[in-house]
Amino acid sequence: MHGSAANLSQVIFGLSPLLVSLAVFVLTYAVIVTEKINRSIVALIGAGVMIFSGVLHQTEAFSGIDFNTIGLLTGMMVLVAITQKSGVFQYVAIVATKAVKADPWGLLVMLAVVTAVFSALLDNVTTVLLIAPVTLLITDALRINPYPYLFSIIFASNIGGTATLIGDPPNIMIGSATGLTFNDFLFNLAPLAAVVFLLTMIPIYLIWGRKLKATAEDRAQVMAFDEREAITDKLLLKQSLSVIALVIAGFVMAHSIHQEPGTIAMFGAALLLLLRAFGKDAETQSHETHRSFAEVEWVTIFFFVGLFVVVAGVEKAGALAILAERIVALTGGDYAVTAFAILWVSAIASALVDNIPFVATMIPVIQNMGATFGADQLETLWWALALGACLGGNGTLVGASANLVVAGFAERAGQPIRFLPFMLLAFPLMLASMAVSSVYLYLRYL
Amino acid sequence: MTIAHIPYRPPTLCLKPDATLMEALRLMLEKGVNHVPLCDGDGRYCGVISTATILQELIPASARGEHGLSDLKFAGDATRLLTAHLHDLEIRMVRDVAKTATPVLEENCPTLEAALLLTHNHAPLPVVGADGKLRGMLSRRALLDYLVSQAEAEHAR
Repeated sequence: MHGSAANLSQVIFGLSPLLVSLAVFVLTYAVIVTEKINRSIVALIGAGVMIFSGVLHQTEAFSGIDFNTIGLLTGMMVLVAITQKSGVFQYVAIVATKAVKADPWGLLVMLAVVTAVFSALLDNVTTVLLIAPVTLLITDALRINPYPYLFSIIFASNIGGTATLIGDPPNIMIGSATGLTFNDFLFNLAPLAAVVFLLTMIPIYLIWGRKLKATAEDRAQVMAFDEREAITDKLLLKQSLSVIALVIAGFVMAHSIHQEPGTIAMFGAALLLLLRAFGKDAETQSHETHRSFAEVEWVTIFFFVGLFVVVAGVEKAGALAILAERIVALTGGDYAVTAFAILWVSAIASALVDNIPFVATMIPVIQNMGATFGADQLETLWWALALGACLGGNGTLVGASANLVVAGFAERAGQPIRFLPFMLLAFPLMLASMAVSSVYLYLRYL
Repeated sequence: MTIAHIPYRPPTLCLKPDATLMEALRLMLEKGVNHVPLCDGDGRYCGVISTATILQELIPASARGEHGLSDLKFAGDATRLLTAHLHDLEIRMVRDVAKTATPVLEENCPTLEAALLLTHNHAPLPVVGADGKLRGMLSRRALLDYLVSQAEAEHAR
């Protein structure tokens, strides 16, 4: 076993570990931003170079990987992959549509609410993958422009994701790194998410909502949709909803039962797999289990693994402590200024590039600020990071994976969402949500 | 043995890439076929249009593609959703939707290889000469017919 001092002296060619780690870090992030090579490959190469160059020992690299985040993501992906086959998401969308008598504006609000709630409890990409097609079918049947609906779904998914620990990868990472609980996120972020959601609906109403009209005949056709037919497997529905309810209860109680969300999500996934395996022969079990695991987005998981190692490299070399010192020096050690700086920089950065690498880097940076700020003050910084990173994703079409998924689906369906027209409305709306967040942070914490 | 010996369908039936989808559909309905190859002015092969592709254009956009709705039973008798885009077939051109990625058989393609490709593709495959011109369409039926008749001839000898 090597000590860390021994490792530092082993960096290739006797180079400074700080310089080598920074070079690997900058290069990795630069290539990720170009999107020329799949981001998971780039992250894994960066991680490998970090180890081969001697900055990190394999043991240190592995301990840099946050397996709580990995477990939570993987577990939830397996749960959702199994649950979606029951048709429950279409069911809820149709019930919501009929509840407002297929009125176009009511429908837009309902689908946005459904998207926000699902995004708060499940991952955003899956939510929009399930909601976008049924939305498009309903707008098709109503013969109305789907664009306002798809736009609202994007916003709703990012806003909903902001509200909980499990809603969005930045929150998962922050929760895991800091020990802030599911309830902490819920009490601190959900109220603001609700306000931002309501405020976002106003311009959407003024621009599109008041002009949306559907004929009585077309509305009758949508009212004739039979939500019960959307449920393809009743047993699966009961099993998966029960397990998801248990898992969410587990998240709420995680702190008092002294368990981490990663364990709870993974155990939930295993439990649902067990329920599905009952009474089936070995071959069917093997086939179904294989299929459930295959639906995990491994690209995302390996991206996380690689990034965690790259960030562990610059952290160990001391680069992030220096960055933290510089930021504190720039803000004059004033934690209110620091909080606003983190909020706005995170928002702009997350609108332009993937928020996952940004947050992965910012977490150790903020942890290093613990030298300057107290625990309560640090908590405000975490909320600023979460709000900026999650809501910032609304700024452009490339700001969040969910945005790209909706755009990709819309494109295939012949209703393309273009980068500039989207940004023209989305970016100001995102800035408005940051203004609201700033007021919220100021009133509640500063 | 190559497919050169198989009497596959000659390229009498073929469409220009700028034909409309409705023209293609009418031709297929009239001739009772599911696939028509596309050829440019010089007879060079440039894709194939099928009834499957046209039907795909008619189903609601929300049900197309890999993440589309896989089940539409809940929509009930919403036939209008299916017929809504029928008139679009009059203005859309076959080249915009034609499949160009399907494998192409060379004139001297071994029969075994052709048989394998035909099992992977549920459609007749175009046979194209070295000059890029269409020689005809080889269907599973033509290939099987040939195999059976060959076996029978051998048996009789």
